Amino acid sequence: MIFSYNLLQSLFDKKLPKPEKLAEVLTMHSFEVESLARKGGDWLLDIDVTPNRASDCFSHIGIAREIAAILKYKFKTPAFVKTTAGKKDFIKIEVKDKNACPRYTAKVITDVKVGDSPKWIKERLEVCGLQPINNVVDIANYMMLETGQPLHAFDFDKLEGKKIIVRFAKQGEKIITLDNQKFDLNKNILIIADSKQPLAIAGIKGGKKAEIDKNTKTIVLESANFDYKSIRLASRLLNLKTDASWRFEHGLDPNLTEQAINRAASLILEIAKGKVAKGLSDFYPKKVFPKKIKLDLNYVEKLLGVKIPQKEIIKIFQKLDFTPINQCVGAKEILLVEVPTFRLDISIPEDLIEEIGRIYGYEKIKPIMPLSSLIPPKKNENIFWQDFIKNILKELCFTEVYNYSFVSEKDREIFTLKDNLVEIENPMSVEQKYLRPTLLINLLKNIKSNIKNYEEMKLFEIGKKHTKNSGRRIDERAMFSGIIIKKDKKELFYELKGVIDLLLNKLGISDIWYDEHKVSFEDIKLWHLKKCAEIKIKGEKIGFLGEISPNILDALKIKKNVCAFEIDFEKLKELCSEESEYQPIPLFPTAVRDLAVLVPRKVKVVDVLNKINISGGALVRDVDLFDMYEGKELPEDKKNLAFHIIYQAKDRTLSAREIDEVHNRIIKNLEKNPTWEVRK
Amino acid sequence: MDIKTIKKEVKKQINSAETLKDLDDIFKKYLGKKGKITQILRSLKDLSEKQKKETGKLANEIKKELESAVKEKKYVFQSADWLASKFQDIFDISVPSKKPLVGHLHPITLVRRKVEEIFQQMGFSVVEGPEVETEWYNFDALNIPKDHPARDAWDTLWLKPESQKLLLRTHTSPVQIRYMEKNQPPLRIIVPGRAFRHEATDASHDVQFYQLEGLMVGKDISVANFKAIAKEFFQRFFNKEIKVRLRPGYFPFTEPSFEIDVQCVICGGKGCSTCKQTGWLELWPGGMVHPNVLKAVGYNPKFWQGFAFGMGLDRLVMMKYKINDIRLFYGGDLRFLQQF
Repeated sequence: MIFSYNLLQSLFDKKLPKPEKLAEVLTMHSFEVESLARKGGDWLLDIDVTPNRASDCFSHIGIAREIAAILKYKFKTPAFVKTTAGKKDFIKIEVKDKNACPRYTAKVITDVKVGDSPKWIKERLEVCGLQPINNVVDIANYMMLETGQPLHAFDFDKLEGKKIIVRFAKQGEKIITLDNQKFDLNKNILIIADSKQPLAIAGIKGGKKAEIDKNTKTIVLESANFDYKSIRLASRLLNLKTDASWRFEHGLDPNLTEQAINRAASLILEIAKGKVAKGLSDFYPKKVFPKKIKLDLNYVEKLLGVKIPQKEIIKIFQKLDFTPINQCVGAKEILLVEVPTFRLDISIPEDLIEEIGRIYGYEKIKPIMPLSSLIPPKKNENIFWQDFIKNILKELCFTEVYNYSFVSEKDREIFTLKDNLVEIENPMSVEQKYLRPTLLINLLKNIKSNIKNYEEMKLFEIGKKHTKNSGRRIDERAMFSGIIIKKDKKELFYELKGVIDLLLNKLGISDIWYDEHKVSFEDIKLWHLKKCAEIKIKGEKIGFLGEISPNILDALKIKKNVCAFEIDFEKLKELCSEESEYQPIPLFPTAVRDLAVLVPRKVKVVDVLNKINISGGALVRDVDLFDMYEGKELPEDKKNLAFHIIYQAKDRTLSAREIDEVHNRIIKNLEKNPTWEVRK
Repeated sequence: MDIKTIKKEVKKQINSAETLKDLDDIFKKYLGKKGKITQILRSLKDLSEKQKKETGKLANEIKKELESAVKEKKYVFQSADWLASKFQDIFDISVPSKKPLVGHLHPITLVRRKVEEIFQQMGFSVVEGPEVETEWYNFDALNIPKDHPARDAWDTLWLKPESQKLLLRTHTSPVQIRYMEKNQPPLRIIVPGRAFRHEATDASHDVQFYQLEGLMVGKDISVANFKAIAKEFFQRFFNKEIKVRLRPGYFPFTEPSFEIDVQCVICGGKGCSTCKQTGWLELWPGGMVHPNVLKAVGYNPKFWQGFAFGMGLDRLVMMKYKINDIRLFYGGDLRFLQQF
């Protein structure tokens, strides 16, 4: 909110510090001064008043009170007209709902001369962003700036029935506001009306009907208190925010109405030469009195971590218009503090401690390390294993990405996503309409957006996905996913399979199995129909590996093959283990024999491998497929598999004869299958 | 010939030798089978004991000197010959290096690890919580009243159907509640994680961001303690002596509430564009846990007190690497990510 330096100065006799200095002091003790600018002969301070202090500090008096407390200045009470209560006025007030309008104060002023405001009022209004209109309206607005209480003036002669009624609007009622906007009202909107028509939208904006014009002679000045919830609702329903609604919707002190109206009246008498007609009409059925809070001074010290002398605490309260009452209960030092009604934010001792702390100055509190028992921090298994996985993938030349947690409507079409998607009620854009049901969609988009700069990529992400489960509950699940694209499109699947094998081995998992894809596995039609597999550990499915479906790649206009995996991290982390044991280095040499076998194309390599291992027995240490070929030179429907077989014994150097014997046994066993042919 | 004269002669000849062959000739002439020095050494036996000793010593010195001079010169000649013969063309060491393939971790991961390490050293456990939250954990339990302008500070993304009142957490603070419900004080935790806001994006705001929540509760944890932990953290993070200051702030879940400012690490407090000429960076909002929050989790505020804070981890990363646009973090551009 914008404040005028000159207006603040008018509330003190003593000269205020220079604007820069004042800004710094306020920032350190009250609210951040976001900017400072010169305007004419004045300075404007943009002060970020926190919402809890709206009740007193959306006003220059509020800020002046802060300054007085911080700098120990004496603060000047501006002139006001004394209320002459009790006398009947010639305006009748009727409040229909005392919850929505806890107080309504009005004053009638006769013989006013409507005209231009004096220069000083105009200047200060303009500094604070308000347009000068005429002296009566300007004084009402000026009072709002000074006291924080929004005021409104009606032309008395335009009221029908000489009556003011505060009520909720009827369905179908309309109002034209001062700026000629037309609003349809309804029963949730509180209005000020005469006996026939709406005059103003209560607490928000005045209407055209009883507008002050240059012929106005008699005015009704309104200073009312409205319930913050009603104003907030009406402001939202009408999509109309004003300086008044902004103040009301944060809550104001009902005791402020009288103070503000009396101050306004004194200015109107002085500037618009009016005469105050009799007393004050005041509807105020449930008076608000100051609260008293008990404050334990030992607790003040314990919470702030610094001892502040009682005398100083009392002085701080007095400067803020609180009334401290000394009271000794037992051995404790207890201070009973009466809180002024304009401080709606103060209700518990901690609120009082904040007042002490900030006015005393947080900079005076010295840092002290806490004394605490030695409780070693708990290990977070989630983060431990995620970091572990990230490190391995980094070693394998993957780049980590953090993607948005959202997918778009278009993604839903491209990936034919099912209705288990979690939809955002109020998305920022169509790009962010749903929560991602898999990390792979955004990883694929990463590939697409980087492809003009990179031919080869290896990316991964660990993050959460969200889907609805069968009970319509939201399933939040941490996943980790990777994706690769290469110049040489061959072997992509096997390369990524190697990454997963290595990764899982490093996580202490050895019992890995890749199962054939069952079409119904995933709802998402993401995968290539053939080149994909379920990843299983100890028989439990933990993820998926495969090439991305050519249809998807077409739709995304990615021209190369892409291979990806997605693993359920929550399942995986239960299987990880840090246990690991070293394998003794073999003492005796290895011997390698090659073996090539021609088998039907549909035969799986794993079946051939199993046969070799079983036939070879203990002496076969490793079998390594080094070539797989299908092509023109071979009979149709056949493929050639070439293996290195590594022979080694734990207790001796193998002789050529021994090796030959086992090797021949393997060949013999392979050829038992009539369609398999070992090439010699 | 006098042995001293021979020494001078030899030196002169070595210096003027131009080829390997010259050197060989010199060697033969003096140290060969019939070489002058060889002969002197042979003739030693005919001399008196005294002369034998003097001449012998001198002759051996010359021999050693000659040998090493020849060796040295030979090396020079050989290298020159070798270079001349083997490498007609030049070897250029200025050719750019071949880049080894490496992987990259996201800058948020790097900074998060560092922050976690610092706090763990101070006894804080790292805990996490869900991204989809209920209204209770995100607002009500944190003393953020319904229908109050205070709630406007958190623009929220709600999930469908509206009736379930589920939302994407707007801060990591709900995890404070979740953790306190299940654990007894004293406690010290930090909570890193994603948070979401219904907010227009620009260089310093994004729909999604990374936050770090902190909470310490004990019998007498004070503002002074909070200040000390904050100062210690920033000094360790930025590896230098750093000034921190507390000024008033407002959050419904803390009372008193503060903004913790750190002396600008870029300009050292003199004022620059990063700190908007103020010399201070607003990095760490926090305060003393509001009694209503303690009550909401079943703690008795008479016995327990503490501090809580929530800082933007993205902002810390931006500061560390001088990144000027928050959207780079979630844009997936490898030209950015592969710098880390």
